[in-house]
Amino acid sequence: MLVPIVLLIFLVGFSVISDRPQPPADLVFINSSEVNTLDPQRMSWMHDLRTARLLYQGLVQNDVLSDDFAIIPGVAETWELSDDGITYTFHLREDALWSNGEPVTSEDFRYSWRRAMLPDLVSDYVNMFLNIQGAQEFYDWRQTQLEEFTDRSFESAADRQAQAYELWKHTQDKFDELVGMKAIDEHTLQVSLKHPVPYYLELCAFVVFSPVYEPLVSQYERPDPVTARLIRKPGWTKPKVLISNGPFTLEEWRMKRDMRLEKNTHFWDKDSIAIESISIPSITDPNAGVLAYQTGALDWISDVTAPYRGDMVAQKLEFLEEHSDEVAQYRAQGLDQFTIDRLLPPDPRAHTHAVSSFGTYFYNFNCKPNLPDGQPNPFADARVRRAFAMCVDKRSVADEVRRLGEPTASTLIPPGSIGGYSSPKGLPNIGDAASQAARNEIINKAQQLLKEANFPDDFIVSLAFNKDSGHDLIAQAIAKSWQKHLGVKTKLEQNEIKIFRDDLKNKQYMTARAGWFGDYGDPTTFLDINYSTDGNNDRAYDSEEFDSLLDQASTELDPVKRLSLLSEAERIITEEDLPLIPIFHYATIYMFDPHKITGLSTHPRTKQNAFLIDVLDDNRGPNMPKPMRHQSDPIVEANSP
Amino acid sequence: MTIILRRLLALPIILLIVYSITLTLAWAVPGNPLENPEKRPKPEVIEQMNKQYNLDSFPRFYVSYLSNATGYQYAKDFFSGQMKRERELSDQLGIPVPARPIFDFGPSLKYDDATVNEIIRDTLPVSVTLGASAILIALFIGVGAGVIGAVKPNSFLDLSTLAVSMVGISLPGFVIGTLMLLVFAIKLDWFPIGEWGTPKSIVLPALTLSLPFAAYIARLTRMGMIDSLSADYIRTARAKGAAEYSVLLKHALKNAFLPVLSFLGPATAMAMTGSFVIERVFTVPGMGEHFVNAVQNKDLFLIIGVVLVFATMLIVFNLVVDVLYRWVDPRIT
Repeated sequence: MLVPIVLLIFLVGFSVISDRPQPPADLVFINSSEVNTLDPQRMSWMHDLRTARLLYQGLVQNDVLSDDFAIIPGVAETWELSDDGITYTFHLREDALWSNGEPVTSEDFRYSWRRAMLPDLVSDYVNMFLNIQGAQEFYDWRQTQLEEFTDRSFESAADRQAQAYELWKHTQDKFDELVGMKAIDEHTLQVSLKHPVPYYLELCAFVVFSPVYEPLVSQYERPDPVTARLIRKPGWTKPKVLISNGPFTLEEWRMKRDMRLEKNTHFWDKDSIAIESISIPSITDPNAGVLAYQTGALDWISDVTAPYRGDMVAQKLEFLEEHSDEVAQYRAQGLDQFTIDRLLPPDPRAHTHAVSSFGTYFYNFNCKPNLPDGQPNPFADARVRRAFAMCVDKRSVADEVRRLGEPTASTLIPPGSIGGYSSPKGLPNIGDAASQAARNEIINKAQQLLKEANFPDDFIVSLAFNKDSGHDLIAQAIAKSWQKHLGVKTKLEQNEIKIFRDDLKNKQYMTARAGWFGDYGDPTTFLDINYSTDGNNDRAYDSEEFDSLLDQASTELDPVKRLSLLSEAERIITEEDLPLIPIFHYATIYMFDPHKITGLSTHPRTKQNAFLIDVLDDNRGPNMPKPMRHQSDPIVEANSP
Repeated sequence: MTIILRRLLALPIILLIVYSITLTLAWAVPGNPLENPEKRPKPEVIEQMNKQYNLDSFPRFYVSYLSNATGYQYAKDFFSGQMKRERELSDQLGIPVPARPIFDFGPSLKYDDATVNEIIRDTLPVSVTLGASAILIALFIGVGAGVIGAVKPNSFLDLSTLAVSMVGISLPGFVIGTLMLLVFAIKLDWFPIGEWGTPKSIVLPALTLSLPFAAYIARLTRMGMIDSLSADYIRTARAKGAAEYSVLLKHALKNAFLPVLSFLGPATAMAMTGSFVIERVFTVPGMGEHFVNAVQNKDLFLIIGVVLVFATMLIVFNLVVDVLYRWVDPRIT
């Protein structure tokens, strides 16, 4: 009887002894979720991108600690753009090295970008690469070849396999022949675009454009003997195997447990890095994260999702209220929120931070002429959509339902997030009305619009949303305002996220919740989803005027004119046509001690470069606070007196 | 002996049935592993992925998965010279041939950088450790409480253990778990949070995981003990002057333990394949989370992989229990 029990004890003892955790790292933070991949060309998740920025460096990068989020050098030390706006020449710095000491060359970028352009690699962001000359042709050519290969008959399996390898060789030649990427020499890269893309450097700063180390990665990629598609074997992103060119290297990555990074001794800018090691434990339970922070095990939570976070934000506001005089004074000086928190006396309530995000929460209208059941769709009429949009009490949704200190939205693009872009005003909204009289006026206007549009009596609006994340509470609040101000009844339809998504894609809905996060610093990252043929146009919005503005903007060379065309396009969707109702701009909730951690950005683009973090008073790095710099401020070297 | 052989022979057939049912159900789940909370992958991207992994055809997936997972594909490639050719072609390109597992459970569609083999290899030992500790604790607490209760049925001690075990069965793990964290990790600071690998870090999750099992074992033991304590052979044992502890532990418990033993088979399999809730609350890097998350992510390969592991463990532990049964009570054949 005792034998199995003794065995069990032995087993437990053995595994406990054989498994020792690492010493504490300089910085410990948690990502919102387990990393899916460290292959930059395959990424799409925010937490993957955040981790990858620690491991890789692209040609250029954003200066996340400045107000204008300017493009600054990365692997490329300098670059030029030809007068026609088409050809970029990047000069790579000589001291940019891989973590094994080999130089980063222009060929590395050609190899990496080619990976992203292969249909068989299934990159989420392949479209960002297809505005390079010949890239679309290359993509289509490979695609056709692969399809033909599947249909072709072969003498034998051996022949088939040999042909698959042959096709792969041919593909590499085809890339050289078709695609406008030239390695002038080891450190000069020339990229020619199909047409001018004014925000092209913004794309180059995106992690997906980072280089991977060809001698390593190519070992894990080979043509499938049957389909000829390139098969990726996982393995090169494993700790101790991965060779990368960023500020840190991957020392350990244990699935669902933790990831540990150490400073890359070959990184060209390593002297500016104030921390030696980073540990990223996988704490996915929202509550466990906050508890672990409270025991001091964590320095930074990058996305607090605990259900009581609204209360945490409320306590923070209370704290700021107690020091309102100083806060007002600091704000007048133009200081950023983290700096203000650091100047105030220490208080555990001040560890919660609501940071504006590059994303917007909105409601979709199905704009098709007919509803899924074949009945005429009242929301096909822009007047109806405007009326419904005006009567959503955005203020109460943001302040009473969400309670995260998020700004209400009258536009799709968070204002101030893109340098040089001026947002349209958007429709007046009852939530932001200055007085009761103004509020009534908006309501009257909306009711009149419904009358003009012959909105059918006794029509029941259906409102679709997915379970979880409090969407139900927002839906209830909005249904209530429509009922109260427009006298329209709403049926709430709650579904599992997958079903909800499918319904949206197939336009099997009337109105539905939605959200969007921008990828790069240009208005098109938000506006494109309303283009009539875009894959993300869930609204089936089809406006010639809007489409033509986007088309014009895409060929406009003058950046100022271009942005004003885009601003006009956004005006159409937020003031006239309203295929969607912007409700609020997202905030992300951070937890960190402002007296201890510095180097995080408050810019609404929500891009954090964790390698810029300095843990104050840890006897490493300069231990100097890093406030946000204004456009006019000179760049102060961290180690200057 | 024949029973063991027969059960082992039935194992592949049962696994085949489990595989077929799991795949059919998982196939019907809507959605797709590339899904992102605020973003939908482009249709062409999904199409590419489907082609790559045979996700566009049920029969093709069914067959290809089977041949990879059973090692048939490996054997076939090995004997047909395919592998040798691959090596030659790789040599021509100047790239080494990556290692290939004999039983290939496929890639994880969600965790791009890991194969299902790797995920199970990394997470199963953690779950087994935690599960084994939990079962040990459960046996200790459960049998102890059961015996104490049975000695003086309906006494205060008995009723209080009964009450505690009712609470153990009915309170969900995330409540007990969070309470334990609050009391023992935050207030008293005895145990770490969000850490795994030290002897200290295993205590709270194992204790929490063991409670429902302990409660159940306590009730089973108590019932069995009350039954056997009134049996004739106990009276005989007492009459011949055996010491009370020997009556209780040697004679009565041996019989009373049989129902506990049959419960232990599935319980051990369940505890050792991980618990979603416990793993979430205590940040344990085990396998349990994949049972829930893989389904939500429609990560087909991973769903089938973890279900097959669970099925195998269930069958094996039931077999072990059957063998032990025969050994404890030779009357059973």
